[in-house]
Amino acid sequence: MRVVIAEDNALLREGLVLLLTSAGHEVVAVAAAGPEILPALVKHRPDIAVLDVRMPPNFRDEGLRAALAARQQIPGLPVLVLSQYVEEAYAAELLGGGASGIGYLLKDRVGRVEEFLDALDRVAAGGTALDPEVVTELLTRRRSTPLDSLTPREREVLALMAEGHDNATIAATLVITERAVSKHIGNIFLKLGLPPTDIGHRRVLAVLAHLNNP
Amino acid sequence: MRETVRRAGRATAQLALAVGLTAFSFAFITVLEIAAIGTVAVLGIWLLPETVLLIRRIAGAKRSMTSAWTGQEIPEAYQPISGPLRDRLRTAVRDPGTLADLRWMAANYVYGLLGLLALPLWPAGLLADGIWCGLLRRRPVILPLVGRLADLDAAWSAALLRPSPKALLAKRVEQLTQTRAGAIAAHGAELRRIERDLHDGAQARLVSLSMRIGLAKRAYERDPQAGRRLLDEAQEHAEQALAELRHVVRGIHPPILTDRGLGGAVRALAASSGLDVTVQADDLDDGPRAPVAVESAAYFVVAEALTNASKHSGSAQAAVRLARTRTGLRVVVRDEGKGGATTPDGADAGGTGLPGMRRRVAALDGTFNVTSPAGGPTVIEAELPCAW
Repeated sequence: MRVVIAEDNALLREGLVLLLTSAGHEVVAVAAAGPEILPALVKHRPDIAVLDVRMPPNFRDEGLRAALAARQQIPGLPVLVLSQYVEEAYAAELLGGGASGIGYLLKDRVGRVEEFLDALDRVAAGGTALDPEVVTELLTRRRSTPLDSLTPREREVLALMAEGHDNATIAATLVITERAVSKHIGNIFLKLGLPPTDIGHRRVLAVLAHLNNP
Repeated sequence: MRETVRRAGRATAQLALAVGLTAFSFAFITVLEIAAIGTVAVLGIWLLPETVLLIRRIAGAKRSMTSAWTGQEIPEAYQPISGPLRDRLRTAVRDPGTLADLRWMAANYVYGLLGLLALPLWPAGLLADGIWCGLLRRRPVILPLVGRLADLDAAWSAALLRPSPKALLAKRVEQLTQTRAGAIAAHGAELRRIERDLHDGAQARLVSLSMRIGLAKRAYERDPQAGRRLLDEAQEHAEQALAELRHVVRGIHPPILTDRGLGGAVRALAASSGLDVTVQADDLDDGPRAPVAVESAAYFVVAEALTNASKHSGSAQAAVRLARTRTGLRVVVRDEGKGGATTPDGADAGGTGLPGMRRRVAALDGTFNVTSPAGGPTVIEAELPCAW
C-alpha cells in the first residue's frame, strides 16, 4: 500500500517508516508539521494516511483537523489517527462523517506489530479500527442503560465489534465459534433495540451511535 | 400623623440601642483601664488581646446596628488574633483596626448620648405636631427630628467605623499571605504526588522491562522459547508504563485542555460524564484564552463537581456555565439532585472533593461558594480572577 505519514517526532517517524516498509508498504510522503499534511495527501492520493494528532506549529490537534479536512477534499480517504492519548470527543468527530475507513488508536498499539498492521489493512479496506480504551470508556460510563442487561460475554463481543473487528476475528479472540458470535450479536442488537445490520462498518456505526446517545 | 409617629418610634428604638451600647462602653472603660494597668504590671498581659477582641465585638455590634438602620453594609477589616501570646499581643497592638476602634469608642462617649435628646422631643413633638398637623393639616416638624437624630448617629458611626484604606490593605495582605502559603503547600504536595506516581509506576515498569530484555538476550540462543516469553512480558511492561505515564500526564494537565481550550475540554468532559449535561460556554470560544492556571483550575472544578453530581446527587442532569466577567472567569455547576453536599451551617460534608476545589480556587485568589440544602439542588460557583 502507498502510505502518507504525518508525525513530528523524528524517533517515532523513523520507527513508523521502518515498520511499514518492512511490512511491504511504501511510504510515499512524510509530513513533519500540520500545514504540510493536506498538500501531501492531495498530491500523493495514498491508500491510507497515518496521522499524529498533535503536530507543530501549535501542538494542539492539527493532525485531527487535517484528517477531517482531508476526508472532505478526498471523500473516502482511509485515515488512521494515532495519538498519545485518546479522547471520546475526538472519536466522535472522526466518526461523524461515517465510520468507513477510519482508525483511531493509541500510539502504544504500534508496538503490537501484527495487530497494528491488521488494523491498518482493515482501515485501508474501508473498515474501522477504534482503540479499546475509547470503547471501554463508551461502555462503562453509562448508568442504567440497556447495556446493563447484556451478559459479560455479550459485552466482550460488543466491545470487539465496536473496535471494528469482524466475526472471524471476534471468534478467534474469544475462542468461540463464529456461529456463537453471530448468535451473541443477534442478542445484543435485540437487547439494544437496534435494527439488525449486515457486517462491516455500518454495524460499528450503529453500535457507536447507540453508545453516544444515552 | 400616624405614619410620622411610627417612623419616630422606629428611630427611637434605634437611638435607644445606641444609648444602651454607649452605656455599656462606659462600663467597659473600667475593664479597659484594668487591662491597661494589668498590662503595665505584666500580670495581666494576657488580658490585652482579649480586651481588643471585646472592643471588636462592641464595634461589630455598632456596625450591624448602623447597617440595619442605613441599609448599607460597613465592612470589617481586622487581622486575626491567634497563635501564641506573643503573636496575639503584637497583632492586638499593631492592628490599625484597634486604634480606629478606640477612636470611635472615644467619640462615641460624646455623641452616643445623642439619643437622650429624643426624650424631650417626644412630649413636645406629640403636643406640637398633634396640633400643627392633626388640626391645621400641616407637615409635622418636631417628631421627624427624632429620625434625623438616628440618621446623624448612623452617619457618624459609619464614618468612624469604616475601615481605613490601611486596615483594608493589611487585611488583604493577611489574606494573600494565607492563600499563598496554601498555594505553595498544594504545589509541593502535587510535585510529591507526581514524583511518587512516576517512581512507583512508570519508572519501576521500565526497570523491569529492561531487566526482561536483558534476560531475553541471554536466553536468545540457549532457550528461544523462554526468550520469546520474556520479550512478551517486556512488551506488556512497556505498555503498562505508557498507560501509567498517560495517567500521570492527565493528572498534571489534561491534554484536551491544551488542544481545545476550556470550552471544548469542558464539553468533552460533559459528554463523557454519564450525565445529561448542558454546557454554556459560548462566551469563551472567541477572544483571548484565560491563563493556563485559571483554565486548569476551572476544568478541575467542573470535573470534580460533575463527578460528585454523578456519584452522590442521584440526579441524571446537570448544567455547567462558563462566562467571562469583567475581572475574571465565572464557573457555575448545578445539578438537580438531592443536595446535602454541605451541612446546614455551611461546612463541607464528608469527602475531600469540596475542600480540594476550595483550595485550588483560593490558591488563585478566587472565591468559591457551595449551596446545597437538603433536598437540593447543589450549586457550585467559583470565580477566578484574571485579566482578559
